[in-house]
Amino acid sequence: MKFNDLLLGVLVLLGGIAIYVSAIGFTAIPGQAYGAGTMPRAIAVFAVALGLFMIVASFVRGGRMPRLDLADWAKSGKAWFGLLVAILMVVFYIVAAPLIGFVPASIVVMIVMMLVLGTRPVPAIAVSILACVVIQQAFGRLLLVPLPRSELLGFLW
Amino acid sequence: MSVFADALGLVFQPYVLLVIFASAAFGMFVGAIPGLTATMATALLVPVTFFMDPVPAIAAIVTATAMAIFAGDIPGTLLRMPGTPASAAYVEDGYRMTRSGRAEEALGASLVFSSIGGIFGTIVLITASPALAEVALKFSSFEYFWLVVLGLSCAIFVSPGSASKGMISLIIGLFAATIGIDNPAGQPRYTFGNVELLAGIQFIPAMIGLFAVSEVFRAVVHRAGDRPPMEPGGRKGVFGVQWANIKRYPAQAFRGSILGTAIGALPGAGADIAAWISYAVSKKFSKTPEKFGTGHVEGLVEAGASNNGAVSGAWIPALVFGIPGDSITAIVIGVLYIKGINPGPTVFINDPQLIYAVFIVFFLANIIMLPLGWAAIKGARTILSIPSRILMPIILMFCIVGSFAINNTPFGILLMLIFGVLGFLMEENDIPIAPAILGLVLGPMLEQNFVTSMIKADGDFLGFFERPIAAGLGAFTIAVWCIPLVLYLMRRRSAEQTV
Repeated sequence: MKFNDLLLGVLVLLGGIAIYVSAIGFTAIPGQAYGAGTMPRAIAVFAVALGLFMIVASFVRGGRMPRLDLADWAKSGKAWFGLLVAILMVVFYIVAAPLIGFVPASIVVMIVMMLVLGTRPVPAIAVSILACVVIQQAFGRLLLVPLPRSELLGFLW
Repeated sequence: MSVFADALGLVFQPYVLLVIFASAAFGMFVGAIPGLTATMATALLVPVTFFMDPVPAIAAIVTATAMAIFAGDIPGTLLRMPGTPASAAYVEDGYRMTRSGRAEEALGASLVFSSIGGIFGTIVLITASPALAEVALKFSSFEYFWLVVLGLSCAIFVSPGSASKGMISLIIGLFAATIGIDNPAGQPRYTFGNVELLAGIQFIPAMIGLFAVSEVFRAVVHRAGDRPPMEPGGRKGVFGVQWANIKRYPAQAFRGSILGTAIGALPGAGADIAAWISYAVSKKFSKTPEKFGTGHVEGLVEAGASNNGAVSGAWIPALVFGIPGDSITAIVIGVLYIKGINPGPTVFINDPQLIYAVFIVFFLANIIMLPLGWAAIKGARTILSIPSRILMPIILMFCIVGSFAINNTPFGILLMLIFGVLGFLMEENDIPIAPAILGLVLGPMLEQNFVTSMIKADGDFLGFFERPIAAGLGAFTIAVWCIPLVLYLMRRRSAEQTV
């Protein structure tokens, strides 16, 4: 998914305008000309200037149309599926870990990811369980990170 | 001399040496785990130090910190997961070297030059602390503003590819830094009523997302699982080529150490900016600047030395004035107080043997780093022989746990995911990631120093040039912006004349 310079310039310009507009409501420090809006406005001005520069530079180089090119991988449904699964697995962990605890949630995430990447099921399951135990011992026991536990599946902690 | 002998006596005891060794191993372990930081290693040691005498207590923290800072380069180099914002400056070179089968050489360079930078910083700490601290204290908001601007300019300067794309990355980082309530007016910005966002964007989950999670996504879409495992290391091992590197890049190592120590001595700003400025300086003066960012050891040498020089430098204001330069020295000052040692000018008079003992520990820590670092590198390189199809899911799990561990909330994981997708899109479009990290880290500092300065100067921009150090830094920063433009115009003009 590759934006050409002209499209990128347009996006930066629009982003800058959006930041500027959103910063209008920010108040200043009482009695001062500066406050919460100063930094966003400065960033907005920087972004607008950069966006305009990129658009002009793109025109000078002969780019006339905003364009979005698809990378080679983006033509493969399998790649999109893998990307989607990877994102969904992180979301799954966020939702599931507090309910079922760290151990089962992390094992599921790793097994699914390994299968998506082409690992055979038996090694995927074995390695995931081993990795989970190592991470749980290192972070949970040694470094005292309060990894999510489950009342229901307490025996898996 | 008797003070020095007393100090030697305090350090060279079996118990203290054992503490140094154990805390070195602990620091190495924590630093090498992706997502855990040197600050976390220090904080975890504090309860243990309650039961120790002052010298072993400080020795434990000093050693663990130095180790953790170096060990942070291990996941950075092998897996592209930098441990600190400072090591993000040269993570690309290290990772590219790993991809081309030179992981041990890259990590060896990191190790050796970290040690050199650390030892140099310690020498400066011993000999020039009071003088450097005096200069550091002259830095007010005006000087810090210029220093931050210089650091941000360096981020654009060092980014490979087009400067415009480096600036886009910087804008993303600076904008992300505006989120939250921590701003001059104390007004929530872009929080959309979310309580977690009030605290702003934490840089560790953002950094893990931008660098590591985006790499996992790339492995998924490019079917990296089919790729044969990477070559674990070169034939010459960890130290094999480092002597040649020392002979080849002495100026770089020296410059990095000086700059790192000097910038590191500035309270609050130093350590994060030092490595970036050093990397930029290295690229500027290099005979082969085009190789930077493609797996070239030169930048790694200079920025690595600078990184650990800055760690020693941060102790200068901490010991001389009791002003913490970063979160680690802040924790240490607390420990010193608990032990009945009050950091500040009087410590050199009241407890000179303790201060000398701390200096000796600094040397020991930077020397013991070499064998322990070697062992850690040898142990960690086995990671590279694991096929991507197994390694990447485990890395993703480390990313998740590391992001969670910062505040112990799932919000960190969500941030990591968002920045992971963002990082993936940025790299697809050849937008460098590193400037975004620096923007995120330095954004709040830029804003605070700018607004404070403007209020102090009553809205007069000339206030930024009225103090001598600020004027010098300001002129230098503006020169850094303008010189490339002037050189470009001059080259173009001479080209037109020849035509």
